[in-house]
Parts: sequence; C-alpha cells; structure tokens
Amino acid sequence: MDELSSNTIEGFEPKIVAFMCNWCSYAAADSAGVARIPSPPDVLPVRVMCSARVSAELVLKAFMSGADGVIVLGCHIGDCHYDSGNHRTVKRIPLLRKLLIYMGVEPDRLRLKWVSAAESPQFAQVTKKFVEDVRALGPLSAPLRVEEPAGVNRPGVVEGGVP
Amino acid sequence: MVTLIIDGQEIQAEEGQTVLEVARQAGIEIPTLCYHPLLEPFGACRLCVVEVIRRGRSRLETSCTHPAWDRLEVKTRSPAVIEARKVILGLMLSRCPNVPVIQDLAREYGVTEPPFSTDTPDEKCILCGLCVRTCHELVKADVLNFSQAGVERRVGPPFLEKTRQCIGCGACTIMCPTGAIEIVLEKEAVYKEKPLGPTSAIYVPSLQAVPRVPVIDTDACIRFRQNDRTDGEIADACGACQMVCEAGAVDFDQQDEILELDVGAIIVATGFEMWDPAQLSQYSYGESPNIITGMEFERLSNAGGVTGGEILTAEGKKPERVAIIHCVGSRDHNAHPYCSRVCCMYSLKQAHLVRDKTGAEVYNFYMDMRAFGKAYEEFYERVQKEGVTFVRGRGAEVEVLSDGKLRVKGEDTNLGRLVAVDVDMVVLSTAIEAPHDADRVAALFGLSRSEDGFFAEAHPKMRPVETNTDGVFLAGVAQGPRDVPDTVAHAGAAASMVLSMLDKGEVTISPTISYVLTRYCTGCGKCVVVCPYTAISLGEDGKAGVNDALCKGCGSCAAACPSDAIVPLHFTDDQMVGQIMGVLYG
Amino acid sequence: MIEELRAKARELLESETVECVIGYEVGPTGRVRPVFVYEPDDVDRLVFNTRCDHNLVTYLNRRNKPRKRGEEVPTTGILVKPCDARSLQVLLNENQVQRDKVTVIGVACPGMQNADGTPEARCLRCNQRVPLLYDALFGEPPEVSDIADTYADVEEIEALPREDRLAYWLSELDRCIRCYACRQACPGCFCDVCESERDDSLWIGITDAIPEKAFFHITRAFHLAGRCGECNACEMVCPMGIPLSLLNRKIVKEVEQTMGGYHAGLSEEPTPLVTRLTGEEDIDEIH
Repeated sequence: MDELSSNTIEGFEPKIVAFMCNWCSYAAADSAGVARIPSPPDVLPVRVMCSARVSAELVLKAFMSGADGVIVLGCHIGDCHYDSGNHRTVKRIPLLRKLLIYMGVEPDRLRLKWVSAAESPQFAQVTKKFVEDVRALGPLSAPLRVEEPAGVNRPGVVEGGVP
Repeated sequence: MVTLIIDGQEIQAEEGQTVLEVARQAGIEIPTLCYHPLLEPFGACRLCVVEVIRRGRSRLETSCTHPAWDRLEVKTRSPAVIEARKVILGLMLSRCPNVPVIQDLAREYGVTEPPFSTDTPDEKCILCGLCVRTCHELVKADVLNFSQAGVERRVGPPFLEKTRQCIGCGACTIMCPTGAIEIVLEKEAVYKEKPLGPTSAIYVPSLQAVPRVPVIDTDACIRFRQNDRTDGEIADACGACQMVCEAGAVDFDQQDEILELDVGAIIVATGFEMWDPAQLSQYSYGESPNIITGMEFERLSNAGGVTGGEILTAEGKKPERVAIIHCVGSRDHNAHPYCSRVCCMYSLKQAHLVRDKTGAEVYNFYMDMRAFGKAYEEFYERVQKEGVTFVRGRGAEVEVLSDGKLRVKGEDTNLGRLVAVDVDMVVLSTAIEAPHDADRVAALFGLSRSEDGFFAEAHPKMRPVETNTDGVFLAGVAQGPRDVPDTVAHAGAAASMVLSMLDKGEVTISPTISYVLTRYCTGCGKCVVVCPYTAISLGEDGKAGVNDALCKGCGSCAAACPSDAIVPLHFTDDQMVGQIMGVLYG
Repeated sequence: MIEELRAKARELLESETVECVIGYEVGPTGRVRPVFVYEPDDVDRLVFNTRCDHNLVTYLNRRNKPRKRGEEVPTTGILVKPCDARSLQVLLNENQVQRDKVTVIGVACPGMQNADGTPEARCLRCNQRVPLLYDALFGEPPEVSDIADTYADVEEIEALPREDRLAYWLSELDRCIRCYACRQACPGCFCDVCESERDDSLWIGITDAIPEKAFFHITRAFHLAGRCGECNACEMVCPMGIPLSLLNRKIVKEVEQTMGGYHAGLSEEPTPLVTRLTGEEDIDEIH
C-alpha cells in the first residue's frame, strides 16, 4: 500500500467525495474491493441511482461541507442504466466546473469520469489520480469555504459556512 | 318482369334492360365493339344488330339500344343478321385493315379481305365513341368528343390540340377496343414494359395479402383525383369498380378513423423498408428496366405476378445470364454499415429459382456467405452444385451497355483478379432499413434507437424484446434485421412476455420512485423533458405528477428541478446531504 | 410612434381585451419607471425612450401575481423590447404565462442608455432590434451596424490568472447583502420557495458568509443556464452594483459554445440542460 500513503508537503490528506452511480461506477468500486485492487482510502463514496441525480447544489454542498475535491462517476454515454441520465450529467457537471473555474476555484477540484461496472482497474486508477491531483492543491478555500478569523462572533458560521 | 323470345327461346327479363343485356345474361352471343356495360349504349358500331319482330314485321335494330319489351321476338343469327354483320365488318375492315380485333371478328364472319381500299391503312379508330363516353360519363373530364362530319368525322380534344383538361388517367386508352389511343409521357421516363407493381388504381396488393381484399390507391383513382382537382365539384367521377362489385363492398367514403384504446402493453412491430439503390449511382438502378431489386424479383417470380411466375427480361424473353449482387447498401459506409442478415439466403434462393426456371448462367457476387441457420449451409452447397457461379467480391459497378446488356464489374478476391461479366438481368439484394418515420414512432412510444436506426432493445443479449419503457415491447425487424424463423421466435417471445405480464395482475416497481411536492412545483416542465421514461406529466392543475408504474427511480427529475419540488424516495436531498455530512465527518 | 402605442393601449383597455397595460412612465422625479394602466384615460402616461431599460416581463411571472385557487388569470397587455421578449418566450415555454391572456405590444428598440447618456454595454452587443414575439409592433427598427464583440467582458475575466479572478469575485461577493433584488427582478426566477431561503436551511442558512452567498449566486446562474435572456435587470437593480451579468453571461457563452449554439428565448425548445445529447454538442468531458 506504499504508493497510496500520503507524502505531501504538510501531510495533508484531501477529503474526496465521490458520487457514484449504482449500476456502473459503484459496481466497479465494489468489484475493485472484491478483487483487492488497491484504491485510495480518502475517496468517500456517496451512492446515487444515476449520475443524473447529482445536482449542482449537491456538488456545492459537498464542497462547502468539507470536501476538497468532488468526483462524479457515471456510466459511459449510451450505456446509462436509465437510458439518458448521463446525457444530463455530461452537460451539467462540465458547465458547473467551468463556472467554478471562472470564480477562481482550481480546475482539478471537480471531475467527471465514466467508469463501467466491468472497469474496476480504471476505477482504482481514476480515483488514485484524482486524489493525487487534489492533494497537490491543498485544502479547498474561498469562495466555497473560508476560515473565519478567531474571535469574530458570527453566529452560525463555522468552517465552510455550515452551521 | 317481361318475357322475350330470343332465337325461339322464352327468356325472362327485368323491365328496363336492353335486348343485348338480356341475351348476354342468357348466354347468347352477340358481338359488339362500341358497347360497355358501365356506359350508356351508343349504337355506333352496329355489330350488335338483331332481327326484331313485332306485329309480324321484322327490322334490324341494334340490340344494345333496343329495350326489352314484353313478348318481343328476336333473332340473333338469322340470315339477315349475318349478312348485315358481314357488311358492317367489311366496311370496318376497309377503314382499318390492320387492326387485329377487327381482322379477327371479320374472319369469324367469313370476311378475309377488305372490300374497299383506303388511303390511310394505319387508321385504328372506328368512331365507336367509347372513349368519348368514358371521358364524359365516368371520368367527367369531358376532354374527348366527335367533331366534323361525314368522312371528316374524328374523335379528339377540341381542335385536336393538347389540353390541360386531360387528367392523364388513361381510361380512354383502356376502353378503346382497337388500341387507337396511346398514352405518351411528356417527360423522359424510364418505364418498365412489364410493370412489377399494381396495374390499376384498385388492386389486391398481392395474392398473399392478409386480408386479401383490394385497396384503392387514391393518388391514381380517377374519382379521388377528379374530386381533388376540382375541389369537390366533380365528386362522383368513374366509380366503375363500385358499379361492378356485386357484393357492394366498394365504399369511397371510408375515412381514416382514430381509435382510442386503453391498454396495458404495447408491442411495436412496425417492420422495415427497403433501401433505395438509386442512392448509389454505381448500380445504375433506374437506367435499365432489367436492373431490379430482390423485392422486385420476388414479384416477378411469383406465380400470381404479371408474368405468371416466369423469369423474363423487360423485353419478354428468358435471360441467358443473370447476376445477383449481394450487400447492396449493406456493409457499406456510404449507405448502411450493418449487415441486413436475410439477403444472402434469399439471394441463394433466387439464384436457384433462376437456374431452375430458365437454365440461365447465374453469377452471385458476394462478400461473405451468411448461411447461419438450420439447413442454410446445406442449401448453399446445393446451389453451388446446381452450377451457380459464386464470385467472392462485392459487385462494384453495373454498366448499361449500348445494346442494353448489363456489365457487372467486380473483383474476384479468390482469384485476385478484376472480373466483368455481361448479363441480361441484374438483381440487387438491397439493404433492409428502419422505416423513414421511425423517429416519430420512437417519440410516440418512448423508444430509443440503436446506431443502425432500428429500435433499441433493453439489453442486447439478455432482453431482446423489452425496451427501457415498461410495458412496451418490440417484435420482429422493428428491432433489427432478421428472417422469418427468427421473427417468429422474437415475436413469440414478446407475446409471451406480455401474456405473463398481464396474467400476473401486478407490476413490480422500483422502490426509489419519485413524487412531486405540489406546493413547490411551478409547472415549468423541466422534469417532464428530463424523464427517460415519460413517467412525469403536467396535470390539469399545471403541476407535475409522477406515474408510479413507469418511474424507475433514477432521480434525474429531482436534480433538474430548480425548486426542490421532486422527492426521490431513499435519495432525497435531506438524505443526500446527510450522507455527505456522514462521509465527511462520520 | 408613442401616439400610436397609446392609441393601441386605449383600444385594448376600452374593448376589455386586457384589464391592465404594463408599460413605462416618467415618475415624479423625472426617472422612468414601470406603470400599470387600468383606465383608458391614463394611457397618456405611457412613454417609450432610451431610459426604458426595465424588463417588464417579470410582472407576469407567477410569484408576482399570486392567485387564489380558482381565480381567473387576468388579461394583460405588456410592452416588450426584444430582450424582454426573450424572457417572455422562456416563460411561455415553461408554462408560466398563458399566451391567450397576454397581448404583447412589441416595440422596436433603438438601444438603451445609462443615466449619463452613454449607451448600455449590452445594447452595443445587441443585433436584435425587433422582438421575436408580439401581437402589435410599434416603432421603426434602427439600422444595426457594427455590434460589439459579444463576450469580450466575460473573456476579460477568463483571461485573468486564477488568484486575480478569485480576488475579483471575492470582493464582489463581499458586497452582496443577500437582498435578493436580483432574484425578484429576474423574470426567470419564479420559484415559490427559493432554495436559498428554505426554512430548514438544507443548503445554506441566512447569514452573509461568503460561501453562502457564493452558493446563491452560483446556483442562480446555474438555474438560468439556457434560460437567461440577457435583459440585465439583475445587475441594474443590485443596490451594491455587483456585475451579475458577468456571471450569467459566462453561462450564456458556455451554453452557446458547447451546446450547439443554443440561445434562450428564441424558440420553443427547452434549455439544452434537460434534453438528450443531439450530437451537436462540443462538451469538454473531463477525462
């Protein structure tokens, strides 16, 4: 497991929220586990039935709540278990990403990848790469998460704006 | 009821009939040329004259016009009648010495030479007026009439000039007993001398049609054409078919009906269309009447077809050499990249039929022989043994030579040589494709289409008859090319699934379905568009509502809703946020 | 032109084709403001000039006209400029307005001006001087020659290095006081309960913390993807002068360039965000 141990500058371990669709990517993650393919432990799975369920609000909420990186994994175009769900995902996530970049968020913090149920090695590879890329960026900062200076009494404001 | 005495026989008749009608009904032969049961009798040709005896006096009258009076005595073959007919036929033969039907009739009455000579031996018109009456009474276009008088009398349009009043229906041509009228196409058109399609506006589609009843092609039918052309002013032209139908089965007023049915399952079996080989010019389809498609060959070789099942070229002769080209429009990136699956076997069958019926040399240009089914390979071997030549290389080009022969060029990949063969007939085994309106059908039933254009099954291996929409199934070629045995199996599978579905009485649905919070729904309709299963619709109140039976629980709607008005069970926004918090802090 | 327009308004009111005509008038301080004319004799209050930059279509949306159950939708006449007509088309597409209850009085637009007389930046970019949707049209459309580069303002921000971009938006977001004037003025924002104001604070609370404001503005811009008619009402009403058009138009640019050239409000097609892929898209799948 050596290649997965953290050796970053500050010992920073990124928190990655991975939205995974039940039929393809979640199944791939499962198979990767069963097949003992090493996958990074920092990837926190959140299962959805279809990648189309992942709204912009959920991605933003994940960032605001503590995720340093968000990756959305779905079925390849044409293979969606719900026929055309990933058509919406493929328009939504890149558009959101472009808007976040425009507002000053690093491009590598939000990623969309297709991983089919048979592609467990790719699941491991994709998540590993993503963790590395986010680790290099350090913790998420403004505008989606801010540290408030100590001593300022702002009711309801904790790191990331979550009460 | 009246009684006539014809040639000594007492024959019952209806009042209002003519002597000719009564005689013909009784099986008594009287020749006519200018008579037609659907038109008013005219008495022009005089051939139908009979001796009519009344009050002891006998006269020669035309039986087609003479009413059937009670106790009328008629002689149809008395010496006076025969003599009269001889004279009439002699006159006709003198006017039109080269018309076969007049020659035959004259010969029957012993007239072999025209008694008079003529300066216009090619005259065909006997001034019978059938065309005039047809055009007036049936077609109601009133294009033709008699003009001039005496020896100058003739038939034609006003001043014998072309007129736009003529609708080109060809009825006059059909009615003319001597073939004096021809249809001339104004534009250059390639027409097949022996048509392989319907020859009249009302026709039975084929002897194997189910149901085997005639249909009317409203684009060709004179009644419909006149009605359209005159915006309903002439609404009752022709109608000959209705007049002759004894069952009274012809109904011109039939309209398309829209039926509304509430059903629990739908099987889409909308079949296929044939690809048009005119789209690739190298096959020269349309440039010679002897380049036909496989479907047209089937019509040709059908015993109920126009040649009675004989394989004949357009010139009416048996071909000496035939080429059959496989994969026309299939396996072709310029047309359809897929294989149409059925053509290799029917091409083999057609090769066999040509050999069997004509003994011609047959060349099959093929790429791969797809003989995948039961006894198919054995049939292929048999056809090889019958002496059909197989050239392994796609028939690349068909050239129409100046003498009308067709040169098929290709590469024989087994020999590694370019080859060309001159044949009398080329049969193109054309691709099967999805019908041109498949996108409308797909939209109606919520179907997706595969890359090949046919409707998409739910899973290519495991679920060949289901679609992604519950309750909608596919049967047959609508889902992809397949032959008859495979279609029967496929359709049977679809029917069985429907039966078991209906039999259960219950439907199992996903637990993760969505519902709408109508308090928050603005009726914007984004969820309706997003749902892959058309499970959401806007109700009378303008709010969205989810059909539990159709919803599969993907949650696309919830993410699309800007008002958080849709709740996907087990994956609600609260639960999702809870999960996010859980993984980050738990 | 204004006389003909007033005559039309009078005719609509007198014939009771509409109960109210929404247009522009000059207020007591000399500034142009929206007006709701109910009486035929009041039509002389209606004006149209280069300061009529409000998008009146927002008064047609459901939020501004709450109706009790069973209440009939009133009939309205409304003045629309070309940009306003785009918003109206979006509302029609999304079932928010009944077409037969609205009489659309289109005006050909010479372009609007700021208070200091300079032309509004958005009008310099506009080549559509006649509304696509109207029941009656007034005014002569001007000749439109050189239009300004459509996305130069957005591209300027895009070209900044990330840190400068971030600093820019942080300083703008800092000023936001969550007054929601932008949301109220926007015809496309018609949700009964806005996601940012949920009682259970599911997404965000009600503080003015930067992340919460960021959530609101990003989500609002996102919800307008494929729906924003670029009327600029949001930016015009913001009391803190935040350049909201730079946010919304970034999305407009991305939708146009990656989703087959789609623009909101020009047809009955819904936003491409909810449709299937057509194959015309040029989406940068992040791989």
